Order: sequence, then C-alpha cells, then structure tokens
Amino acid sequence: MSIIAFIGTRMLYAVPVLLGVTVIVFLSLQLIPGDIALTLLGRMATQAQLEALRLDLGLDRPLLVQYAGWLLDLFRGDIGNSISQQLPVTQILGPKIVNSLILMAGSLTLVLAAGFVLSVASAPRFRTFADRAVVALTLVLASLPVFWLGIVLLYFFGFKWKLFPISGMYNMVDPGGLGQLLHHMVLPAITTAASSIAVVTRVTRSRMIDVLGQPYVLAARARGLSRRQIVLRHAVRNTLPTFANIGGLQIGYLFGSVIFTEIIFNWPGVGLLLFDAIMQRDVPVIQGCVLVVAIVFVLGNMVSDVIVHALDPRKR
Amino acid sequence: MSVTSMATTSPASSQRFSPARRSNLYFVWRGVLGDPVARIAAVIIFLLVLCAIFAPYLAPFPPNEADPALRLQPPGTPGHLLGLDHQGRDILSRLIYGARLTLLSGVVPVILGAAISIPLGLIGAWYPRLGEVVMRVMDVFFAFPMALLAIMLAALMGPGLGNMMIALVVTLIPYNTRVVYAAASQERELAYIEAAKAMATSDLKILFVEMLPNVVAASVVYSCTIVGAVVITAAGLSFLGLGVQPPIAEWGIMTSEGRSYVFVAPHIAALPGLAITVLVMAFNLLGDSLRDSLDPKTRLQLVKHRAAPSDSDEGKA
Repeated sequence: MSIIAFIGTRMLYAVPVLLGVTVIVFLSLQLIPGDIALTLLGRMATQAQLEALRLDLGLDRPLLVQYAGWLLDLFRGDIGNSISQQLPVTQILGPKIVNSLILMAGSLTLVLAAGFVLSVASAPRFRTFADRAVVALTLVLASLPVFWLGIVLLYFFGFKWKLFPISGMYNMVDPGGLGQLLHHMVLPAITTAASSIAVVTRVTRSRMIDVLGQPYVLAARARGLSRRQIVLRHAVRNTLPTFANIGGLQIGYLFGSVIFTEIIFNWPGVGLLLFDAIMQRDVPVIQGCVLVVAIVFVLGNMVSDVIVHALDPRKR
Repeated sequence: MSVTSMATTSPASSQRFSPARRSNLYFVWRGVLGDPVARIAAVIIFLLVLCAIFAPYLAPFPPNEADPALRLQPPGTPGHLLGLDHQGRDILSRLIYGARLTLLSGVVPVILGAAISIPLGLIGAWYPRLGEVVMRVMDVFFAFPMALLAIMLAALMGPGLGNMMIALVVTLIPYNTRVVYAAASQERELAYIEAAKAMATSDLKILFVEMLPNVVAASVVYSCTIVGAVVITAAGLSFLGLGVQPPIAEWGIMTSEGRSYVFVAPHIAALPGLAITVLVMAFNLLGDSLRDSLDPKTRLQLVKHRAAPSDSDEGKA
C-alpha cells in the first residue's frame, strides 16, 4: 500500500473514533447529579437564562436530538461558555493548548532521546551489569508518582540548589525568548517524561534483544562486522518501527502526566485550566479540555502510525 | 531455589490434565517464588497489608489527633519518628492508617474491572457480531488517555471515594476486556471447544465452565501488571481533590496537603509520596515476575539457559 493510500485509510479509521469521542464527552453530562442547566450556567444564573439554556440544549427532547444539536455547535467551534470566566470555552482553550503542546513536545523529545540511548546502551549488553542497571532504572521511573516526582525535583533543583525556575513559562520581569522558555521547561519536561521513558526503554530494549538474536545478525557477525556496526546498522534499523510505535503511544500517557506537572510547576496549559475548572466545577471547560486532549491524542496516534508504516518496508 | 509444596505436588497430581495446564502452575510458582526480587516485593506488599489491617494497634497516635504546638516538626522529633504535618498530626500514624485507603482504592477497581471484563470479553469472543460492537465501543475509550478519562468521570460525578472507584473501573474495563477477548478468540478455535460443541454443551457452559479457566490467567496477569499504575492514578485523583476527602488519611491527599509547605517542611509531602513509590514498585516487580513466568518466550530462554549454560550472552550481540 502506498503511503498516500495508507494515510487516507488511516484518516477514515479516525473519523468514527473521533465521533465516538464526542458521544462519550456528550454523554458524560448525564453523569452530573442534579439539574444540568444549573450546573452549566452556575448558581448566579437567572431563571430566564436557565429556561433559555434548557430550550437551547433541548433537554426536553430525546438524547439523540440533543446530541445532534450539540455536535452541530461543536463543528461551529462552540462548546459552550465558561461558568467562572463568562467567556466561550474555545477562546480560553486556544492559548492553553499551545502552551501544553510546547511542554508535550519537550517531554516527547526527552522520552524519545532517553528511550533510544538507554535501549542502545542496554540491549547489546544483555544480562550484563549495564543492562541490569538500565532495567532497574526503568523500574524506578515507572513507579514514581508524577505529582511526587515534580515536588521532589522542584524542591531540590528549583528551591535548594536554585538551578532552574520553579513556576511558569517565562520570567515575571522581561518575559520572552526561547532560552528562557527552555530553562523553565527542564524540570516540568523531566517530570512529565519519567514514566514514559521507562515504558519506551523496556519495549525498545526487548525488541532489540529479539533482533540481535536473528539469523541475519549472526550472518553479519560471520562476515566480520564489529559489534558497533551490527548494532548501528542492523539492530537499530530493525528496531525503529517498534520504537516509533511505542513512542507514539506515549502521547496519551504524557497528557495524563502533563495535568499534574502543570499544577505543580504552575505551567499555564490545559492541565492547569482543567484543575481550576474541577475546583470551580466549571463543567463546559472540563468537557472542552477533555475533548481537545482526546482529539490531539487520536491525531497524534495517527501520525505515529504513518511514521511506523513509512519506517517498515515490509508493509509497503 | 525454593520449591514450594505446591510446585512439587503439581506435576504428580496433574498427570491426568494436559501438560500445558501443569506447566502453567509450575512456571508461576517457580518463576515468582524462585525469583528473590519478586519474593522481596511480595513481603513488602504483605507487610503493608498487615499495616492496613492492624493500623489501630500499630499506629502510635490516632490519625487525626493534632498537637498544634509541634506542627511542621521534622522527622526525629521525640515521640514522632517521622515528624508532624501542618496541623501537628503524627505522620507515621497517618501513613499507617493511609495504607488502608491507598491499597483499597488501587486494588478494588482492578478486581471489579476484571470481574466485569471477563464475562464481557468471553461473550464478545463467542458471539462475533456482538463482540465486534463491544470492541468498537472499547476502541473509542482508548482514544482517551487513561488518567484523563478517570479525571473527567470523577470530576463530573463529583468528588468522593465511591465515585473515584467507579471512574477507575470504567477506565480499566476496555483494557482488560481487550486482553480477555484476544485470549478467548484464540481458545474458541481449539479442539476441546469443538468437542464440547459436538456434545451439545450449552453456550453458557462452554464459556464459563470450559473456556473460563483457560482465559482467566491472561486477565489475572494483566491485572497484576496494572495494579501499580492504578495505585498511582487513584492517589493522583485524591491529589487533585477528586477522591478521598480530608481529613481522612490517604497517601495521595497527604502529598497534596504537603505541597503547600514544601519549602518549610518538605517531609510532609516527601514521605507519603515515597510510600506510594515503594508500594507501586513492589506491585510492578511482582506483576512483571508473574507475567514473565507465564510468557512462553521467557520460558524458552529459561530452558535454553539451562540446556546450554556455555551459550554466553556475548553470543546475543
């Protein structure tokens, strides 16, 4: 299958999933105990506003009709208004998504770099001290609660040793600049990446161990290739599809971690917005955040599938 | 190597069973109990469970008894081994009591999730059309990052221990169902199922008497590998204020409360978080060991290594 055709089919697959996502987010409203209109508008709403919203949502009509109306609004970019800020949710979400994606990009880069280096450092030395050390490290990384790791890093590297800033994306005075951003991003990115580094390393390492046991590796050894050449030319090349696949799957885990990281490091992204919305029971904002993250997740997985496909000649 | 009575009796007593069934049990016991690291992990979990059960006898103070004069005092304060928190409560006592809800909120959703997923996956694999529908619905749930789905459900239903557990169960079902569905789909092609069908055994009996014992291992192993992650997620929900509510002692909420005092008294947040890490690490080690002991690939390696000890690791590279 050509790469274009593959992208096409993959996009077609994403459509029903995305529709399903909207169904779940829509239905989640039904979980709210009590009056939906009151929850959506907040306690300050007047009786007239409540009636207007009930009419607008069609709360007296069947669920299916309600969903159709909600979905149409969604296509027009309308997920409702924030209760606490009295602004359209999309307007609030826009800049927050960008900030979260910046942190996500930093974390994903770290995950891929660390996962790759740790795998290449461990798999060819299967069952030696270096290998066992990497396995032990992944165990520790996989067991750290993200919210606790963030606090620990913040205390030592931010507060005690003053190596990195502990809050926000830029300095309060004179904000701006890529250098400043990267400096602020170091601790949040490490916090977010930790458990994903463990997952990527484990999967990639065990795939590489498999690859190194294949007959063509034996043949390469017989031809007199050095260990370094075998690892870099054969093992890495054949491990790449697995690496790209598991790397892509991390996008979702990273989003789960980013919520906690943003709260601890006061990073103005979707996670912090979601946390504030939870505190204030600002339901439209909660729904907006979840929807946006799920959409980014589905699209991210699609991109990673395409990359995996491009890396694996057997699939063409 | 420690060979338990279970392992020694199983080959003899199970001769009338298929060899595959005997080796499963054998490899689980040999793999998990023969692995010293897994043994340590099992002991840690056992001790924490004992702490949870006998908390009132073990804890030096009641969990909510506060001594305002000693608030924020560090570990090593006389009479308070691990120090006191921002309200002057003894942290050691709160950790011991906190083990209860931390363990429960991590383990109960996994068990409930498996209890729902096993019949769902079995029935889905048996009736392909129904199964197709069920699995497509599950696919949609996979579009949400696990933590996010749990957060959304818990946030909308309202904070509280019960709602948090429901949210976690719903989040876990798709993953476990997929595991059961995959295992059951393989089983239904096997000869013993065909034999049962030929004998006009009822569908229900085939599923829950014939197939269940062979599928349940996959689900149990999966559940064991995921308990650690669920403990973290549950503690995380409480950290966000969506789960256990103050002043109840639970490690996630203790970490959250300590966050405000991190620059003054870092031990308040550090100790419960450390406790979570140790518990999760123990669960992860045990889960990995269990999975490895049932994984045919690892078994092959074990056998190979014993057959040819001279086959050094250098040959792998």
